[in-house]
Amino acid sequence: MTEDSSGSRQLRPGLWATVNERYPGSMIHKSHGVPLAPLRKPLNECRVTFISTSGVQPKGTLPFDTVHPVGDYSFRRVPSSARADELDIHQLKYPTAGAERDLNVIFPIERLQELAAEGTIGGLTADFFTFIGYNMDPERLERTLAEDIAAAVSDSGADIALAAPA
Amino acid sequence: MQRAVERRGIPTVSPSVARDVTEHARPPRAVFLPFMMGHHFGVPFHRELQRRIILECLGFVAEARESGEIRDLPITWAEARKEGVAMERSLLSPVPRAPEG
Repeated sequence: MTEDSSGSRQLRPGLWATVNERYPGSMIHKSHGVPLAPLRKPLNECRVTFISTSGVQPKGTLPFDTVHPVGDYSFRRVPSSARADELDIHQLKYPTAGAERDLNVIFPIERLQELAAEGTIGGLTADFFTFIGYNMDPERLERTLAEDIAAAVSDSGADIALAAPA
Repeated sequence: MQRAVERRGIPTVSPSVARDVTEHARPPRAVFLPFMMGHHFGVPFHRELQRRIILECLGFVAEARESGEIRDLPITWAEARKEGVAMERSLLSPVPRAPEG
């Protein structure tokens, strides 16, 4: 923890402690960071991927199991060329009031497509990667899902990964 | 998740609306916004804000110096909502006509 946490202006303070008290061991705590991987190209040459815990997935694909007691440790691929109206959200654990009106508030696929089209970023990976947060076993997540997605991201040719919790 | 990707040599960054959760999880780089959960890229129809948050995150990849660093963006949720409502109204209202003659 940094000293800044006491001055945090987050809308819902004490989230980590609240959830961890209710579901002991469910929240991730790391005492050390991982070494930073270097950025090797300017942004306008970088292929960007997007990883999201939003539960966004193409309509017609197997829905995430949002009610499994310990969580769903699978992921879906979302074509980066998809239209927002081709996608659904299967996740219960965050407010989707904004996303139901404009998916870009949690899954900014249209903004990323625009940034690629105008050349601000070098391009997008063919697929983005999604899963659902609120998995109750962080060690299992780290051992399985995180490695599965990391391998897929690595194979995708991404130069930068934008990752968004929900 | 970010840590697993970063270990494969790909730099990562995330927007966060829960600074305490991010401080505990220590992702390699994060950008904090005091926004509502589920609204990490802002509010509906506010394209400029959504775009800005993406670019602030991507820009931070080159600028962060220490693993676990969190950048705070000076945007409030109240401002974002106010701007979003104004933008939505302008999208819904008819285009003003130029005066004739």
